[in-house]
Amino acid sequence: MHDESSIERAIARALRPGRRLSRRRFLRDSGRGAIVAGSALSLPAILAACGIGPAGSTAGSAAPSASNKVVGGGEPAGTLNFANWPLYIDQDDNGKSETLRMFTEATGIEVNYDEKIEDNQSFFGIIQPALAAGEDTGYDLMVITDWLVGNMLRLGFLEEFDVATSVPNFVANAAPKYHDPVYDPDNRHSVPWQSGLTAMAYNPALVSEEITSLKQLFDPAFIEKYSGKIGMFTEMRDTMNLTLLYLGVDPAKATVADAERARDVLMAQAPYVRGYYGNDFAQGLADGSLAITMAWSGDIFQLQFDNPDLKLVVPEEGAILWVDNMTIPKGAQHPNDALAMMDFVYQPEIAAQITEYVNYICPVPAAQEVIRQHAEEADNQDDADYLNAVADSELVFPSEDMLSRTYSYKVLDEDEERQWNELFGEVVQG
Amino acid sequence: MGWLRRHRSIIPYLFLLPGGLWLIVFFVLPLLTTLSVSLQEGSLGSGYRLTFNFAIFPESIMRWNEQFVRSLQYGLIVTILTMLIGYPMAYTIAFRGGRYKSALLLLVIMPFFTSFIIRTISWKFILADEGFVLGTLKDWGVLDPSFRLLATPMAVISGITYNFLPFVVLPLYVALERIDPKLIEAANDLYATRRQAFLKVTLPLSMPGVFAASLLSFIPAVGDYLNAELLGSRQTTMIGNVIQRLFLVNNDYPQASALSLVLMVGILVSIFIYMRVLRGQELGT
Repeated sequence: MHDESSIERAIARALRPGRRLSRRRFLRDSGRGAIVAGSALSLPAILAACGIGPAGSTAGSAAPSASNKVVGGGEPAGTLNFANWPLYIDQDDNGKSETLRMFTEATGIEVNYDEKIEDNQSFFGIIQPALAAGEDTGYDLMVITDWLVGNMLRLGFLEEFDVATSVPNFVANAAPKYHDPVYDPDNRHSVPWQSGLTAMAYNPALVSEEITSLKQLFDPAFIEKYSGKIGMFTEMRDTMNLTLLYLGVDPAKATVADAERARDVLMAQAPYVRGYYGNDFAQGLADGSLAITMAWSGDIFQLQFDNPDLKLVVPEEGAILWVDNMTIPKGAQHPNDALAMMDFVYQPEIAAQITEYVNYICPVPAAQEVIRQHAEEADNQDDADYLNAVADSELVFPSEDMLSRTYSYKVLDEDEERQWNELFGEVVQG
Repeated sequence: MGWLRRHRSIIPYLFLLPGGLWLIVFFVLPLLTTLSVSLQEGSLGSGYRLTFNFAIFPESIMRWNEQFVRSLQYGLIVTILTMLIGYPMAYTIAFRGGRYKSALLLLVIMPFFTSFIIRTISWKFILADEGFVLGTLKDWGVLDPSFRLLATPMAVISGITYNFLPFVVLPLYVALERIDPKLIEAANDLYATRRQAFLKVTLPLSMPGVFAASLLSFIPAVGDYLNAELLGSRQTTMIGNVIQRLFLVNNDYPQASALSLVLMVGILVSIFIYMRVLRGQELGT
């Protein structure tokens, strides 16, 4: 027993009658919600917490020193230690991934695939001591969310590579939106794995009007009638950044004063809010406990197979596009193997294979055609319908118009992070 | 051997050695680490430095005052509820259980065969607003459509009570089981009513069990965060939730350690008062 959210998923699955996708991934543990309870029991996180030395620990100061040299351009070593989130790659019933098998076949590199990351913050807690001491973390490739890329970059904890020569498939096949992101200029340390939207969703059975605006989630005048049926997220970055959009502030340009205004808005909204959720928001929306809620796109896509009425809304004011990225931690033993994997998954055929399973936003637009192709070749109607649904969904292949209305999380420096955490703590815990 | 024989008095201490070492490694050292961390300042990124920042203790008590008080309140209510439910249960099993005693005890500990996290999450499904219990009652018109059980203080308190009930029943049972029925018969022979016999004989003799049981429910109930997390809302945040969030979400180890220590001291103080009151009562009777 290591993770409450996986148990929650299992129970949800068991209690859900006739679920078509039962063997596909139900909810990604988007632990971005840090579903608090479970991760608290993760021993490594607690041990890591105890590991901070007392007197004059110089953690951090040693790290950035080392080298600013660029990795890549060499021969792969034949081994790749890959840390990823649970249920975030295609897997068959025995947990074997076709993508990883094909990668080994094509490159001769053996992959040690570790579904180690339950939550950005606690994973960082686990690898931080090694990075601060300038030691190898044991991983060559890890998938972390954009804001953590920004943080680790600032601390000098990520290896730099030349994306043009080392990951040519990214340059050729990634959607324009993913090039040169704010958290990592010129993709010198990261390329996206999958991404998704933090937006809002509602259950039309419980809501009489059409929901189009963040006003309908935040403004007491609108939400009074749904009191106790409003859901928000417990993850500070998601909630604060979406609230900033409601205030008309581009999160990237937000000041602490803006964050304080966001706190005030959230405090005014709090009496109407049922709870601050992690990935369990999906359960609340499905069982009718929530009428309007903040939502992650991938979860809604999955829920719609059971209840096609549920709607995801990219509000007029905009939504947050978060990006989980492949990165190489400083001191990694097999950086060339990691780069080989990055390049491998940017082939449309491989990207399609992963997307068909995980249903998040695919960074490779060309994969859409490949999935349609797969639908035509499918040997039964069920699979064909499913694959077409994936290929046609705006939640998997968003239109340019939809993407143009999305914003990134603000990358917070240490002081800002402390201040934002404090402000948000008042909101969720009184 | 000769040396041991000459220093006989050292033998009891040798027996204490394994337990003592265990306590030092797994209790004293972590406690000192916690203390040290709570007095540090910094961040996970740039490292922590010991600055003997004692101000953090009054600051954290002021900042989280509301959650501390709420946790103590919930702990107290839960202790009383578990006692009211658990004492009759233990009494019945001990004195009226007959040949079903073992079976009944097995039923009491049965819930432990499943992780309490899973059981608590199951309550979430069972009691969901439109779930099969409330949903059905609402369809029948028995309940108002806006009625809900989850995300209320009652849900949290009931959850904790439910989860800690076995911890109360077992020590109470052991204490009650030990009472010699002849003592109660003797009271009856001396013209005590059943009520008097219970108040003058059974209850006082079971007090050690009551004491153990109340500690076993109060201490974990005050520090519990899971029930508040799963069944509660913003208005039911307990101090455990705050510590959990500070530790694992904000990575603010000093603040979290300081709160843990304050919580520990707070519980110790309440127990100390409780012991004084209880002893006073015993002297009074």
